[in-house]
Amino acid sequence: MTKTPLTSMNRRGFLAAGAAAAGTVSMPWVASAQAKTIKVGFPTILSGRVAQLGTSSRNAAQMEIEKVNAAGGIGGRTIELVVRDTKGQPQEAARVARELVNSDGCELLIDAEASTGAFAVHEVARDLGVLCIHTNSETSSLSADPKLKLPNAFRCARQGIHDSVVGGTYAAEIANAKNLTRWATCSPDYAYGRDTTAEFVMYLKQFAPKVEVISEAWPKIFQPDYTEAITKILQAKPQALYSCLWGGDLTSFIDQAAIYALFTQMQFYAVNMADYTALTAVKNLPAGIHSGNRYIKTFPSTPENAAWGDAYKAKYGEYPTNWSWQNALAINFLAEAAKKANSADGKKIAEALRGLTVKSPFGADGTVTMRAEDQTIVGYAVGWGTTIPKEPYVPEMKSVPWQRIFELETAWKKSKGFA
Amino acid sequence: MDLNALTECLVSTSCMVTQVTSGFIIGMLLFLVAIGLTLIFGVMKIVNFTHGAFYMIGAYLAMTVFQATGSYTLALLGAAIGACLFGVVVERFFMQRIYGGNVLMQLLVCYALVLILDDLVRIIWGPEFKSMGMPDAFRVPPLFIMGGIVPPFYLFLIAAALAIAVVAGLAIARTRFGKTIRAAAHNPSMVSVLGINTGLLFTGVFALGCLLAGLAGGLAAPVRSLTPGMGFSILIESFIVTVIGGMGSILGALVGAVLIGLIRTFGALGFPLFTEALMYLAMAVVLIVKPSGLFGREAT
Amino acid sequence: MKSQALRDGLFGLAAFLILAALPLVTTSSALIDFVIRCAALGLFATSLNLLVGYGGMVSFGHGLFFGMGAYSFGIIMQRTGMPIPLAILLTMAVAAIVALVVGAICVRLKEIYFAFVTLAFQMLVHSMIIAWTPVTGGDQGLRGGIPRPSFLGINLADQKQLYLFAAALLVVGLLAMRHIVSSPFGYTLRMVRDNPTRAGFLGVDVYRTRLTAFVLAGVFASLGGVVMSLFVSGAYPEFAFWTMSGEAVFIVMLGGTAAFLGPMVGTVLLLLLNDFVTRVAEHHGLVLGAVILLFALGLRKGLLDFALDWRAARRTRAQAGGDKAAGADKMQGVAT
Repeated sequence: MTKTPLTSMNRRGFLAAGAAAAGTVSMPWVASAQAKTIKVGFPTILSGRVAQLGTSSRNAAQMEIEKVNAAGGIGGRTIELVVRDTKGQPQEAARVARELVNSDGCELLIDAEASTGAFAVHEVARDLGVLCIHTNSETSSLSADPKLKLPNAFRCARQGIHDSVVGGTYAAEIANAKNLTRWATCSPDYAYGRDTTAEFVMYLKQFAPKVEVISEAWPKIFQPDYTEAITKILQAKPQALYSCLWGGDLTSFIDQAAIYALFTQMQFYAVNMADYTALTAVKNLPAGIHSGNRYIKTFPSTPENAAWGDAYKAKYGEYPTNWSWQNALAINFLAEAAKKANSADGKKIAEALRGLTVKSPFGADGTVTMRAEDQTIVGYAVGWGTTIPKEPYVPEMKSVPWQRIFELETAWKKSKGFA
Repeated sequence: MDLNALTECLVSTSCMVTQVTSGFIIGMLLFLVAIGLTLIFGVMKIVNFTHGAFYMIGAYLAMTVFQATGSYTLALLGAAIGACLFGVVVERFFMQRIYGGNVLMQLLVCYALVLILDDLVRIIWGPEFKSMGMPDAFRVPPLFIMGGIVPPFYLFLIAAALAIAVVAGLAIARTRFGKTIRAAAHNPSMVSVLGINTGLLFTGVFALGCLLAGLAGGLAAPVRSLTPGMGFSILIESFIVTVIGGMGSILGALVGAVLIGLIRTFGALGFPLFTEALMYLAMAVVLIVKPSGLFGREAT
Repeated sequence: MKSQALRDGLFGLAAFLILAALPLVTTSSALIDFVIRCAALGLFATSLNLLVGYGGMVSFGHGLFFGMGAYSFGIIMQRTGMPIPLAILLTMAVAAIVALVVGAICVRLKEIYFAFVTLAFQMLVHSMIIAWTPVTGGDQGLRGGIPRPSFLGINLADQKQLYLFAAALLVVGLLAMRHIVSSPFGYTLRMVRDNPTRAGFLGVDVYRTRLTAFVLAGVFASLGGVVMSLFVSGAYPEFAFWTMSGEAVFIVMLGGTAAFLGPMVGTVLLLLLNDFVTRVAEHHGLVLGAVILLFALGLRKGLLDFALDWRAARRTRAQAGGDKAAGADKMQGVAT
């Protein structure tokens, strides 16, 4: 693992940043526009159970920044990433984000926090008016709820609702073909888990009307033991099981469920399975788990995507995570928007970001767009497939055309009162 | 709430067998961690917040040994002995300085040690979660007992933990070491007056607690994901167990652990969203009705 | 007694004036943020010390009231748009009622059992916050920002004015608590801490004294929660989680339990350590842990207690023939 260049503030820098912040709290980027480097604040989780979220996000961002800087930086200024640990606590996230802007002189924020922290950083962005790109929160309401909308906040991450549309369509097809009508769910008991599960079930039932959910288990997030959930599911004898557990929680669940032979008794749909860390951590991965794509270098199956995954692996010794591509893409968006605006000014970049389409290895058709209306990315590769326990892990991914996703998403937004 | 599911289960043997055994599975690992906590509190009067860290160290050591040798027996030995030796070091260097001191200062030292140990694990094994994998011997289909599903690995786990409970119980009831421990728990100054080396005794008790916590980590490693800070949640639950059972009582720890296990498994059926709250409710009720816990001596 | 109240008042006024003058000499908004956080956690930790230092009751569940403060204030502001001072008073009233109910059950218990039952209540409230999504926003916390309408010409949406407001709340809160501990009630509380049986013989209602202290501590903790919710413009379940209580306990320990301002010193110390260490070290657990160990094993008591004891010991040495017993008494390091 490589170390971040840790930016310890020297005294002069501190004073300069302080002076810069004076009287310009609402528009911090104006004051130090003359500096040669542009500092990008990067609050994320580097300690505790989900430290990998932070390290793999940071690695990917760093890798892209090196490319951007080699090509002259943004607006003629080289990017310097200032990474800080928030320990996954929302009040620390708020504090760190404020400090990055106010005393470290960061002119832009890339918020690589998980959901709860992201909402806290969102409020900081509201307060300070600084350009902020959320890169790791998949909770749909962050960008879908008009009450939360800010002109200066963007999301560059997959979204629960998109995954659910594709997952629901994919699962319904199999359910109809194999007559799987009795379903169970087992998802972590917090906002992401509940929302994503509800959305998946909604689309599943819409496309496969005979499906009914006969049992629900709601383990706590980071719960070490799932025995009670597993036996509960086994009692209900469903034909298929959906789960949006992720990371270490998902692998624990699989290890524990495997000794109950759960996977021989039902089909398993785990949206967060196809991430390399999870795929490689489980020693005896049962074949035939259905999963959404998190990050897989073979989907989209383009040379660009494979090259990116390999480059990351060559540099850091492990495959990228889902968080990695989202943060890499955020840097690409920043660089492209700055080029278009011909400026490193946050406001101008924000203007340029709205509706911007960039070429990207992570796009379904080679491009990803920052949708103007709700300032979130669309057109990224999203698919579902069946996993096998060795490379390429998911030989075939099935997708849904984005046009279709948009239709269903719009209907969902209406039903939620968001549009 | 889903009381239907709960009542349906209560009248079905297969469901009862499955749920009761899974309650025991959850309970037994808690029990192994809780014995150490309760012994250490009983003898040294110290609330050992570092105990979860030894469970974590045990799990990581088990994984490393298992991957190196392929033998789960060696992995368990490595976990237990490694955690025990580490416990001796921690006890000698840090814990001995805080016995009999201010309770809050003890907490502070424990907190600092947990921070350090979690970070050490992160440096040695990396920040990402790991999984050890199930040993081949246990990779077999589950057994069906009276219609209930029971994986063989869990039978082994329950048997191992119960064996330890019996051995520990007998040792404390019959052996000289056990008698000294009980005497020290009752009146430490008297024990020291009688010419027994309390320093050595304390180290022994602490090491024993760590050995069992490490063993619990080793037993949990095949089925739980390994992350820095994994000792944390088991620590909290073990505390609830010791408080319910009574600080200082091994029998109390056993009963408390099984009780928490059953609350979890049956709670998941009846009150899926409030399982966690049920545990705290149980603890609050016990504390209010009998502050010293179900099997504890009256508070001093 | 009178003169001490006057001295405390003057001291408080001076402290506030210094804090108020700070923005004139520095332009760092990080420093301003730092003081606001100190105000929130300082009120919280000092209120805990009413229980720990003066009442001898170690609570592991004090975060309950910090969280209650942040949530009630946030919910009141989001739903009613009541003037802020009124909302703060209402929040404190809510905290008082909750503290009365919880305290009525908890304060009967002694020592470690009191600690655990307070922890249990806190976790129950934490589970309720998470489960009661329509009101509290569940695990995502209160979102959408807390409205801060102007009152009396004060606009708390402005960071500088929020800073002054937080500093004022801190000083007023500390003065009020200082007044409590130097009142006859404060001395009764110390007596109950040192020897409840004897206090009972002397006609003191031990239960009632402890309960009163518990309610007062809860009320001031909720004030800390209000400041925190204003600072982050939201409220999160973490505020009512046991780690928050743990943090307060550590602050109290770092600073010291005997001197009234010990927890304040601890707050500044912990925040400085936290901010500095997370900034410069990737493995900050390692560094922070080592520093705490040095403190705990090196000083064996809070920083301010250590400093005061050291001074007292020197003084005792100076008056060579003086009453050694008095000095030794002070060395005990209990809140006097």
